[in-house]
This record gives sequence, structure tokens and C-alpha cells, in this order.
Amino acid sequence: MDCCNNRLIVHNRRDMLRTLSAGFGYLAFAGLAARTSAQQSTTSPLAPKAGHFAGSAKRVIFLCMDGGPSHVDTFDYKPQLIADNGKSLSSGFRSGAKLLASPWKFRQHGKSGLWISDLFPEVAKQADELCLLRGMHTGVPAHAQAALQMHTGSFQFVRPSLGAWTLYGLGTTNENLPGFVTLNPARSAQGYGSAFLPAYYQGSPMRMRGGNNRRGQGQQRGRTDSQSEAVANIENSVYTTAGQREQLDLVQALNKERDRRARGDTNVDGVIESYELAFRMQAEVPELLDFAGENAKTLAMYGIGTAATDSFGRQCLLARRLSEAGVRFVEISVGGFDTHRNLKAELDTKCQSIDQPIAALLTDLKQRGMLKDTLVLWGGEFGRTPYAQGTDGRDHNNKGFTMWAAGGGVRGGFSYGETDDYGVEAVNDKMHIHDWHATILHLLGLDHERLTYNYAGRDFRLTEVYGKVANQIIA
Amino acid sequence: MDIALCLLSIALAQSAKVPDAEGLKFFEEKIKPVLARSCFKCHSADGKVRGGLRLDTRELMLEGGASGPIVILGKPKESLLIRALKYQDPDYQMPPSGPLSGTIIKDFEKWVEMGAPYPSAEGEMMGAAMEPMMGSSGSVVDVADAPNIRDDGFVDWEKARQHWSLIPMKSHPTPAVQDEGWSWCDIDRFVFEGMVENGVAPVADAEKSVWLRRVTFDLIGLPPTPEEVIAFTRDRSPTAFDRVVDRLLASSAFGERWGRHWLDVARFAESSGKEVNIAYPYAWRYRNYVIDAFNNDKPYNQFLREQLAGDLIPSKDLNERTEHLIATGFLAVGAKGHNTRGRSQFTADTIDEQIDAVGQSMLGLTIACARCHDHKFDPIPQRDYYALAGIFLSSKICYGTEQSAGNNFPSEYINLPVGTAANGAKLSPDQIQMADVTITRFAEQLAALEVRAEKGEVDRGNLRNQRQFLGSLESARARFDDAGNPTDANLVAMGVLEGSGRNAPILKRGEVNQAGETVVRGFPQVLEGDWVPTIRTGSGRKELAQWITDPMNPLTARVAVNRVWGHLFGKGLVSTPDNFGVTGMTPTHPELLDSLALSFIERGWSVKSLIREITLSHTYRLSSKTESRSMKMDPDALWLWRMPQRRLEGEAIRDAMLMASGELSRSRPDGSQAQSLEGPIRNGGVMTRLIDSTVPYRSVYMPILRDVVPEMLEVFDFCDPSLPCGDRAETTVASQALFLMNDAQVIASAEAFADRLMAMDLKDLERIEYAFQLAFGRDPTSSERGASRKFFDDFSKAESASQSNSPIRERAWTAFCQSLYLTAEFRTLD
Repeated sequence: MDCCNNRLIVHNRRDMLRTLSAGFGYLAFAGLAARTSAQQSTTSPLAPKAGHFAGSAKRVIFLCMDGGPSHVDTFDYKPQLIADNGKSLSSGFRSGAKLLASPWKFRQHGKSGLWISDLFPEVAKQADELCLLRGMHTGVPAHAQAALQMHTGSFQFVRPSLGAWTLYGLGTTNENLPGFVTLNPARSAQGYGSAFLPAYYQGSPMRMRGGNNRRGQGQQRGRTDSQSEAVANIENSVYTTAGQREQLDLVQALNKERDRRARGDTNVDGVIESYELAFRMQAEVPELLDFAGENAKTLAMYGIGTAATDSFGRQCLLARRLSEAGVRFVEISVGGFDTHRNLKAELDTKCQSIDQPIAALLTDLKQRGMLKDTLVLWGGEFGRTPYAQGTDGRDHNNKGFTMWAAGGGVRGGFSYGETDDYGVEAVNDKMHIHDWHATILHLLGLDHERLTYNYAGRDFRLTEVYGKVANQIIA
Repeated sequence: MDIALCLLSIALAQSAKVPDAEGLKFFEEKIKPVLARSCFKCHSADGKVRGGLRLDTRELMLEGGASGPIVILGKPKESLLIRALKYQDPDYQMPPSGPLSGTIIKDFEKWVEMGAPYPSAEGEMMGAAMEPMMGSSGSVVDVADAPNIRDDGFVDWEKARQHWSLIPMKSHPTPAVQDEGWSWCDIDRFVFEGMVENGVAPVADAEKSVWLRRVTFDLIGLPPTPEEVIAFTRDRSPTAFDRVVDRLLASSAFGERWGRHWLDVARFAESSGKEVNIAYPYAWRYRNYVIDAFNNDKPYNQFLREQLAGDLIPSKDLNERTEHLIATGFLAVGAKGHNTRGRSQFTADTIDEQIDAVGQSMLGLTIACARCHDHKFDPIPQRDYYALAGIFLSSKICYGTEQSAGNNFPSEYINLPVGTAANGAKLSPDQIQMADVTITRFAEQLAALEVRAEKGEVDRGNLRNQRQFLGSLESARARFDDAGNPTDANLVAMGVLEGSGRNAPILKRGEVNQAGETVVRGFPQVLEGDWVPTIRTGSGRKELAQWITDPMNPLTARVAVNRVWGHLFGKGLVSTPDNFGVTGMTPTHPELLDSLALSFIERGWSVKSLIREITLSHTYRLSSKTESRSMKMDPDALWLWRMPQRRLEGEAIRDAMLMASGELSRSRPDGSQAQSLEGPIRNGGVMTRLIDSTVPYRSVYMPILRDVVPEMLEVFDFCDPSLPCGDRAETTVASQALFLMNDAQVIASAEAFADRLMAMDLKDLERIEYAFQLAFGRDPTSSERGASRKFFDDFSKAESASQSNSPIRERAWTAFCQSLYLTAEFRTLD
């Protein structure tokens, strides 16, 4: 057999890895090679890169509240709604619908005196860190579309997600972990997809025990006993690490050969990168998932070990650990906010399960000195109507709702934007989802108008032809 | 007011008019990219504002620049914009770098003719459409021009019926293309015309072996065997391709592939999902019905008719009667909230789920959006929803299940005549023993609990739950005799029967306690004509089936052929296969879509004929290789100048592994493993332990329990089976890599693959070759041979330190075979 002309026959692995030139994955012999900045390839598309200007935030943790959390029961205080409780709307499509005051009391908190309802007593203690965005609005009052618009800017077209744009703009700082992790994603893969951006900018989904499905019910997935359950198949039981590396070297050699032969498989790079990342994750992830190094006080602070808060507490703690380890964009999803009925009972239970963990996350980031450059975002695809659906429920409302941000250089203890007297519609300092995107990118040091990707002869951007940075919320 | 002023105010009102969604889509797709690419640099807030002209908002554009208005709405010929684009006016030639293509200029002319739809500055594409819902605060945009349904319920039907998918299908003359014989059939001529208009040219044909792998996966979901590859590549006869297609269409594996496509849109699953996830042990009968229907090339209109009203249509004998009853399982297998409080709420939710499934799967319409209010985008008033709801309210849904904690509303099953259907799954002696032991232990524990309960030490509610759980276990066990054979108790099916005919009231805001006016049972008004049937007696399901399958229905055939096209090219001519409404996409090849739909009907709604025609076209024969010029113009290959590359589905990847390893069982298993389940499924609980996921039958037969989808399918983008889904995602993420690298079943299959090779009387190099043939349907290239040989040396060295008991040589072959599963090629269709 003639081997001399074979382009893939190389004398050692290092040579071969060098011939596979896409992605910083190829330099790593994870587990075999230590991670040092000197070893990171400067040509890697995922290597860290500077933004357009110095941003105040280096990373994002997005707490995605799927289903449309009610703003008028949580962060948007409406005294007029309380005063007019039970009155009927006299005109319009909703005529006859009755205004429903929030069953929860609002109080002022912190030095800033922000109004927050009793659904979030622990988060309220962090009031001075919060920047409430009370003038949010978005395009569509339907879950799937609005969730897509929140994640990608478009509810109609297939477009890259916010996390994918962030990676494209900034890269990531830990080559052994995905740069964009989404825990228990609530909806379609498009929400963490890369669309026309290269596949390696996609979010990596991780499933956790007690992850929440769309209806907010805890469900168990995959392995349930050990703590390394968030990432399935993280260990190989048959080969040694060195043996598995040889196996992947063969796989990558074949992939590279395919790339040469079958011109046009634009996804080969993505496949190659997915294996390198997977291999490196095996070395790093088990440690990351092992909470043994966290002291009892921290676990208790997150509510881990307490039935109501255990599940979300674990996710919040994992989010912090992922961020600390250098993951650029972490998203945690929790469902169950679609309170058409049983508003009182359901929202109460739901908020109880997340209040303490979220507060703990903010506290923990702060005490580690990370809050100043970690942008924490909270919110769902839309809000809910101030008038009742039935007697104990609220319908979808895309015209006015509240999200909030903390850390990452936003003004704490600040409220931006307003809805009308009842909370039906945003009226002052309105912030469309496009504006929210523009502002997030801005905080990260990216100009949403310059962060473009040329595809099909046109420069695309996250905010399309829209988006206005809300400068007032920047500290 | 003088006349001039009056005219001016009309003109202003006109220019402020809120554009309809279709116009906006046209803008988004055709106009905006060009503006962004060629105009904004000099004519926008971000650019230079040359000549005082800005094009980045509609208002400023209409205002014009230093030379006055540039757009006269509805009059492209008089608009300076168009003249400038056409380079007709020596003073105004735009863009200065050179004229745009004729197609683009035509788009602009059309756009001006349409009244230059342009989204509002705030970027709410559907801003106006949203207003009716939120009208309470009195902020009114121009509701008079909201796309379809006004605040007061007025619908401009004439306008609404102009939506592309709602106008009657029309046959179009085949384009006369100058293609030097490239086209082999009408499909090719339409496609070629599209290529010419969009400046792309077809690539060369795929190699024969590539085409064979493509068509084999596409038609039966499996790779070709090495023997089939050799036979085909050697066959020089002109009918070689035809014979392959005919062989595949005749294979029983065809239905297993195409049936699965339908099961995706039929949101098929074997448990209820939602809060308590109750098992549906007989959903599999519907699954098998679907597979058989595709294998028998049951006319598609008949297929839909049976699923909607199988119980109401005549059958020639008892066997056919049984088949028809099982078909109605379509209406019963959807997700349900069995723990819902209140029968009326449960009924309303169940009907909604049925309407959603029928609407999206058969009509490509999101009718269920009109449950609480008039549809926001499509011309479907709330009243039309309740006209349909009455049909389902008048039917009796039979999904079985037993009363238990979390199941407030069990129902009957449909009993099947003895001798007309199989009893289904057998349990192995081990499984029977496991069930018996579990039941005995559980009964003992329960007895102990009862004793303690007497003393008041145990919560009564808890005790009741435990009793019900034991009841579930016992009733599941009772379906099998002690040898594990299924008994006649299994002769039941899920489905729908007639109830008493009654009309449904409109539920204000969708609330069950807000019943309003009753609506006569009927169909969405947007489709009109003398072909629309009237419901006189009974539920109206028969008439519903008639309405949907009438050749005059503009949606059904279009939706169907588009789905078929999508499965063969990775993307439909309409890229939103479940949404042909205003928020869906428009077809890239509208004339082709109509021709295909019309000939589909003419040929008796034969899915196999349609597939045959498409797969034997030149378009389907093209290589998937790229070509830089066309790639630049059309990277997604919307104009089909090449075959788009596709990632295989989880089912196909798994089946291909089992095929390579020789483990795949091609015969259909009896029933489903879900048949031994009853009551709430808890992942990892007693119930799911009865499921053995290692059985090597085809993936379509794996039990599909909602929220407990087999991992292999889940990581490769299986759809949430609670919702209709005609278009699966194709992600590439590390979790897939980890699964293929480390999952025990993948490794076990690689071991079997290795054993198969080792058992052959071959030299190692020949084994490597054969492995490539099994995995990829081709021989290795010389460099791949080299890399493989090198792997065996390197792997053995690397593993020398392993503590494993198995011989290194065996592990090496396992690792080698697994490597082939891991490659990009294994999961990709060229």
C-alpha cells in the first residue's frame, strides 16, 4: 500500500492538529495539555477578542422567565390599578374585562426606594442593585414568536440568537467549555441557534435535574443521582483518555478529508469543533458540576437542599460557576409564568422557588467581585394584562411589561421607563426588545450597528434596522 | 374645506396607512436588503443624507429630498425612485456604482405599486395588528387598515382572500427555458427558470453512489448496502435510476420513514405529557396505521378523511372498519392535562388541541390562535374557531386511561372487533417476573400502610394515591397472561366516535365560564365557494373531512406537496411548512408549488407518484458541492442550483448504526413497549424501567413518551411531540458529540460492528474497506486508508496503559468502528 502521497499521514499528532486549522480546539489535548493563554490559537474564531470599545460587562447571565411573567404583580407598581380594582374597561376589544389589582402588596426597598411586590422579598433586598426596565414592549403576544424575538430579534425569520452574536463579537475565555451555555432551554433550538453564523457560535444546551418544562413542572431527565447529571455522557467507560484522543484524531482526519472531498458541507467545521469541545469538556465539566467545594453556607444561601428552591438554586449556582470559569453567556430558563388561571397560587409557588436563588446569585457575584462586570438579566417574552382573565388569571400582554438588569455597569436602584396608569401599555422611555438587544451589546462593548455579519450579500445585525441604546440606564 | 385640502388629507391618510403583513414581508425580503446594501450609506441617518434624502423611514422617504418626492404611491412609472434605478434620467442614476439587476428593479416597481409598505419606525412589524387586543387603553393606530380583522370584527374578506395560499390553485404553463436539454421534466423547467432569474446556474450531477445514498436515506431512512451500491454503480442501463426508486418505494421501510414524517406533524406520542404525563398504552395502533398507509400509498385525501372521520365512512369489511377506527387516533393522541380541574375546562382544552393539530398539519393554518380573540394575523375570526369547536364538541374522544391521582377524566377506549387486529406486545419472562415482584412488594407495603392508616398514622390522601398506583400496575399486568402473551383485553384503540350534535358557544376571552352566543357548526369563512359543505346532522366531522379534502380547497394539496418537497430537499418551497398564513413565508417557486399540487390531485393524491416524480428529476440529481459564484448569490440554495446538504435525523443515524453493525431488526415489533404502562409516568420510575431501549428494531418503533423521549432522538433535535412539527431543527452541538463518544448503546453498537468485521474471513485492510462501505456506501480514499492504519498503531500504544480486561485489538476495532459513526459524513446527506 502506498502511503507516501497521503496527505493525512503525518508523523505526530501535533503536526496533524496543526493541519486542522479551524477553531482553537485543535491545539488542545485537553486533559493532556494544560490550559494556558500561550497555547490558545490567535486565529481561533472563539478566542477572546476585543469589542468595539471598552464595555462595562464582560459576561452575561440571562434568567429567562418563560411564559410571560406578570409585571403588575412583581416589579411594576400600579396604585391606580389597586384603586380601580374590579372596574370594567369600557371600550375596545377588551371591553367588559375587569381590572384586577395585584393580590400581592408592593413595598419600597433599599436606599433607592424601588417598589417591589412581596413575591420577591429576597430579591427586594438587592433593590439597590436592580435596574428595572418598566417600559418594555415587543412585537407579538404569542409565546413561541415572542420568545423567539426576545432571543433572536425576529419572530418570523431564522436569525442568530443573542448569545451567538455575543460569542461572535467577543469570543470566549475558557476553551474547555462552551462559550454559550443554556441550562434547560424552554423552547425551540432556534432560541440558542446560530442561524447563518457558523455553527460553533451555537449555544450548548445542558439539562439539569428538576429542570423545568414549559408548564413549569419539574421533570427529571437523564441521570438523577450524581451531581454530574447536568451534562449527560461526560465520561467514557471503555477507553483511556489517550486512547479516546487517538480515536478523535482519526475522526477529525476523516472530517478534514470530507471537507476536502465534499466541497460545500459548511457544517464540517461545526462538527469538528463540537468534538474538540466535547473532549475538553470531559476534563473540565465534572469538576465544575461538583459542588463539593462550595461551603454549606453558600449551598444554603442558594436554597440548595430546601425542596422549594433546590432545583433553581442549583441552576443559579451552576450559572455562577460557569461564569466564573469563563463562559461568556449563560442562560437559565424556568417556565410556569403563563398564568391564565390560578394566578395567586401558581405565581406564589413559582416565585418562592426562584426568589431566594436569584438573590443569592446577586449576593454571591457581588462578594466575589464579579457583579460589576457580569450583566444579570431577568425577564420573559412579554408581560400580562392588568385586567383579569376569569377571576384569577391574566392574559398575554406584549405592549408593556418589565424586565430588569443588574451588575455589568447598569445603574442600580434605578427604574427606567413607564407603563400607563394600569400597566397596559408602555408610554414613557419605551424599550422595544430591539432596544434591549442594542443596550445589552453596548454594555458588552459592542456597537449593535457595527456588529454585522455578511450573508447572502447583505450585512445582517441583531437589531436589523432598529435598536436604540438606553444610555440612561448605564451607570 | 376646499377641495385641495380635502384631497391632501386623503393623500396624507393614505400615506400614513398601516401596511399589511404581506406587504411588509415583501419589504423585508426584497426591498430592505437592497436598501441596506445599496442605499443607506448615502441616504440614512447613519449615512450621509445626500441630496437631503433619507430612505430609512417611510415618512422621510415619502417626503423626498432636494428634488422633491421620489415615490408616487401606486405609480412606479411616475416615481423618480424607479426612474433613477432604471438609469432613465441622466441626472438621477442610482446607485451610482451601477444599475441593479432587472429582478430587483421589478421588485421595487411592485413595491411602489403596492403602496411602498414599510414598517413603522418603532420596528413593530405587526404593530397595527396588535392594536385590537390592547385597544382598552384607547391608543389607536389606524385599525381600519389592520391586516385582516378590525377591532369591531369587520373583515375585508376580499382583501383577506388575496393571500397567496388562499387563492385557488392555478395551473401555469411550463416555462420555455433555454437550457440546452438540462431539464428532464416540468419540475426542472420551473426550477431552471428560477435559477436564471436569480443569476445562479446548476452544478454538475452527483456521483451515482452519492445519489444512491441520498435517495435511499430519503425514501427508506436507511443507507444502501454495499451490494446495492456495487450493483447500481455497475448498472449502465437507462432505467437504472427508475428501478432504484421503484424498489425503494415498494420497500416496507418506506412507510417507516415517511410515516415518521407524518407522526411529527400529528404530534404523536404514547403519553399525555403536561403536568402528570399519563401513559397511552394503545397509541401505537395509530402509529402503525400511519406507517401502513404510506406503504400502501393510501390516497392522501383518503388518509386525511380516515383520520378525521374514519368511524363515519363506509368500510368493505370488519378489517377495514378496524383500520378506519384506529385512524381517528389522530384526534386522540394529543397532549392533555389530565389533572385539569373542571370538565368544561378539560373539554375546551382538548378541543383546542384537536383544532390546532388539524389546522397546522392539514391546512398549514394556526387556527387555534383564534380561541380567545380574532386571529391576530390571519382572517380567522373567533367565531370561526367556535364553528369548528362545535364539531369536536359533538364528537366523543376516546383515549382510555384510568382514574388516579392526577387523572380526573379517564374515558372509554374504542373496542375493536375480535380477529381484526393484533393484540400487540409480548412481555419477556423477565419483564413478567419484574412486574409480578413489583406488584407483590407494593401490595405488601400497601397492606402495612393500611394497618397504620387504621391507627390514623397515615395520610388518607396518600393512601388513596398508593392504592390507585397499585391499581394501575395491576391493570397493566392484567393485559398479559403469565407467559407474557397479550390477552384480548388489548383489543382497544384510541380515537373518536360520534357524540350528540350541538353547536358551541363563543367563549369570551376563551374563558369557559364566559359562554356567549352559540355558533352554527361550520368552517372558516375565508375559504368560500359552492364546494363548502353544510353540516346538517351529526358532529360534522364527515363534512370537515370533505371540506379539507375537496380538490377546491387551496391549502390541503399545497401543504401536502410542500411537506414532501421539504423532506427531499431539506427545505420546502414554503420554508414554514406548518404555517401558510400571513406570518409564514411565501413560496420561492409559487408556480411550481401549484403545478405539483394540481398534478398531485389529478394523480389521485398519490404520495408515491409525487415522490417518484421529484426524485427522478434533474433537480434532485444535482451534486451538493458548492460553486463560488452561485454560493455568493444564494448560499442557502433557495434556487436549488445544488442539492442542499442535510443533517440526518436521530432515527436515521441510529438506524444506520444498527445497519452497519448488522444488528438492525427490520421486522416490526408487536405493539409497543409502552403497552405495559398505565397511569402517570415518572422518568426513572417503575414504569419506565419496563422499557428496554436496547432492542434493535427501527427507531420509529421506540416508545415516544412525552418528556421522556429517547436520548438518541432528543439530542438530535427530535421535536417536542406535544406540538405539530413539520420542520425539525438541525443543530450541531457538543452534547451530540458527547453522546456519540460515550453513550453505552453507541459503544455497544460499535462493538457489534467490530465483531461483525472480525468474524469475516478478510485481511485487516479489507476489513477497513468493508467498514467504509457499510458506513458510507463507498471505498476509503487512500489517505483515509492511511489514517485508519495509523490509528490502529497509535491507539494500541495509547491504550497499553489501560486497566481494561478486554484485548486491545478488540477495543481498537470497536474504537475504529465508532469513529465512523462519529464523522460528519455519517450524519450528513449529500
